[in-house]
Amino acid sequence: MTIRLDQVPLGHAFRITRVHWDILSNEEGRRLREFGLDEGVTVTPAHRGSIFSRDPLALTIGRMQVIIRAGQAAAIEVVPAT
Amino acid sequence: MNSAPIVALTGNPNAGKSSLFNALTGARQKIANYPGVTVERKAGMAALADGRMVKLIDLPGTYSLDPSSPDEQVTRDVILGRQAGEARPDALVVVVDAANLENHLCFALELIDLGLPTIVALNMLDLAERDGLMLDPAKLSADLGVPVVSTVAVRKRGLDDLLEAVDAATRAAQTPSAQPDLVAPQLHSSDANVRRRARDIAKAAIISETPVRRWTQRFDAIFLHPVAGLTILLGLMFLMFQAVYAWSEAPIGWIEDGFAAAQTWVAGNMPAGFLQDLIIEGALGGVGSVIVFLPQILILFLFILLLESTGYMTRAAFLMDGLMSKVGLSGRGFIPLLSSFACAVPGIMATRAIPDPKDRLTTILIAPLMTCSARLPVYTLIIGAFIPARPVGGTIIGLQGFVLFCLYIAGIVGALLVALVLRRTLAKGNNTGFMMEMPRYQWPRMADVLLALWQRAWLFLRRAGTIIFATTVALWLLLSYPKAPEGADVSQVEYSVAGRIASGIEVVVAPIGFNHDIALALIPAMAAREVAVSAMATANAIEVGDDEEALAQSLGERLQSKWSLATALAFLAWFIFAPQCVSTIAITRRETNGWKWPMFMVGYLFALAYIAAGITYWTAISFGLG
Ligand SMILES: Nc1nc2c(ncn2[C@@H]2O[C@H](COP(=O)(O)OP(=O)(O)OP(=O)(O)O)[C@@H](O)[C@H]2O)c(=O)[nH]1
Ligand SMILES: [Mg+2]
Repeated sequence: MTIRLDQVPLGHAFRITRVHWDILSNEEGRRLREFGLDEGVTVTPAHRGSIFSRDPLALTIGRMQVIIRAGQAAAIEVVPAT
Repeated sequence: MNSAPIVALTGNPNAGKSSLFNALTGARQKIANYPGVTVERKAGMAALADGRMVKLIDLPGTYSLDPSSPDEQVTRDVILGRQAGEARPDALVVVVDAANLENHLCFALELIDLGLPTIVALNMLDLAERDGLMLDPAKLSADLGVPVVSTVAVRKRGLDDLLEAVDAATRAAQTPSAQPDLVAPQLHSSDANVRRRARDIAKAAIISETPVRRWTQRFDAIFLHPVAGLTILLGLMFLMFQAVYAWSEAPIGWIEDGFAAAQTWVAGNMPAGFLQDLIIEGALGGVGSVIVFLPQILILFLFILLLESTGYMTRAAFLMDGLMSKVGLSGRGFIPLLSSFACAVPGIMATRAIPDPKDRLTTILIAPLMTCSARLPVYTLIIGAFIPARPVGGTIIGLQGFVLFCLYIAGIVGALLVALVLRRTLAKGNNTGFMMEMPRYQWPRMADVLLALWQRAWLFLRRAGTIIFATTVALWLLLSYPKAPEGADVSQVEYSVAGRIASGIEVVVAPIGFNHDIALALIPAMAAREVAVSAMATANAIEVGDDEEALAQSLGERLQSKWSLATALAFLAWFIFAPQCVSTIAITRRETNGWKWPMFMVGYLFALAYIAAGITYWTAISFGLG
């Protein structure tokens, strides 16, 4: 069962199964990869910036923390990492 | 003479490039704990062990040679030798964060592949150890095929080894066969194969990894909490403005006493005449009236420096992103705007790290609405004179600090509204993304903070000694001549050249409640906002002359007896908006490549200033505060 990264609960690890590069701009896609967000990688959504919206989202990838917006997270499909 | 080899410092954002650059060259580049601090190239000389010199170039951090913002473009151009007027570097020092190797090695691989002599500086080893990581530089060097030097830039560890490696690399660069033809990079750091290789190399270089509780996560649980985090952010801002008042009272008093003593001394020890008047009224009276605000400016800077060096700045950007996105900007823009509280000029420079051009343009255009430290003297003078120093209704919050806080908020709200309009009209475009790396927290290094404060103090004093002094003295001359005839019922100030010009301006600004004092201050204050204060102080000193009783009064007390509260409030409202700073106009021209946007900025800001002052004045009048 796959879910979109913008929909998942905080504090749990997820493995990226697919990234819909086509709905991201070239720059956005490249920056995601530069942050290490790519298929097969495990991420943990850690914080959301607001109680009113899903934006922005802070993710932990390995030893790094990055901020992205929900719009970009919506292009990322994940499954719970076991 | 220009034969010194060129060595570029490059790597991911926030890896410690500028820290290394400063340590090696003795320069004082800005260092702070967030990505995107350096936005332009800076060169400096470093001496090798044998006395040979190398030219080091500090560059903006980037993730690859495909730029997504103007600062990253600079890095690409310099490394590929496309920068006008500068030769391609002979060697590269790639600075990587030891605690985030897996990611930083991707760009390192892309750079190594260019074929230039390359050295990897394995920086921040202390932080890696703090996180329980033990690394093997020799293994890393073998896998990458280039020398690896361990460094801790902030403790100046590993510098000699690094210079030794630079020495060897630049010697190698001198042999013609080692000069590859740089056309375009072959590898891309975002490529899946490169990323896999980086991951494998990083893994192989780790000797041991003990899981430790990381402080960053514990702090973030509080600081990034949507409710607690925002409360803390607002609390910090509020504390900052209260502190600007509460902590500065005593030192301001000392400086004031110092200048008063100097004036008395000059009056007693110098022959009366032109020079004595110039020194007492223009130099000591005018410039001194600005210098007394040094403590307040330093307190403000202390806060900003602490926010920048701890790593809190990106957290603030994260929390503010929601609000910023509502007006079409992103959290990324919050960082330049917050630095604009110090001064809009570096703030506007810092917008280079914003990827979207329309987003960036809008941020540039609203940066002057952030209350810069040059407004503090004006605000403080007027608040001190017209707002009583008592707590707000039974609390410990000072009323003066509260009014100051409101002025800052007014600037921020104004900026957000302007952004909202611009993003729907002149700078229309899609809502942009917000992608940023969050650094680990670090304790601020006291020595660095003190040095940065000292730099600021020096900058301010130099400003006072040059532009503020020159404008004030010029104004003093224009106020002193022609001499009003003895016994005339017109004052010297009104009779003078400057006074007559001011009377002309007064006609235009009278509808918004401005008087002759203000009209006189407005034009010289275009040079620098603080001149509004020194101009009034100088005019006041001339007016007072030898009147002992009036001399004993402070400028604030004099204004209080001459101005209505409505006029004072209107003057404050004017200063929230008015673009009274030539440096800001000049930097906007440079960063937007033309006169169109700076002209627009000046126009809209003056219009807003006029309207805001007018509304404030007439509202105050209708409440009977005239
Ligand atoms: N603990 C530790 N901190 C370091 C070290 N080197 C740099 N820092 C800190 O890391 C942060 C970033 O340093 P900078 O020198 O500004 O980094 P930069 O690579 O120039 O960053 P950009 O200009 O934004 O690309 C600052 O807070 C430094 O104090 C190090 O070796 N150890
Ligand atoms: Mg830097």
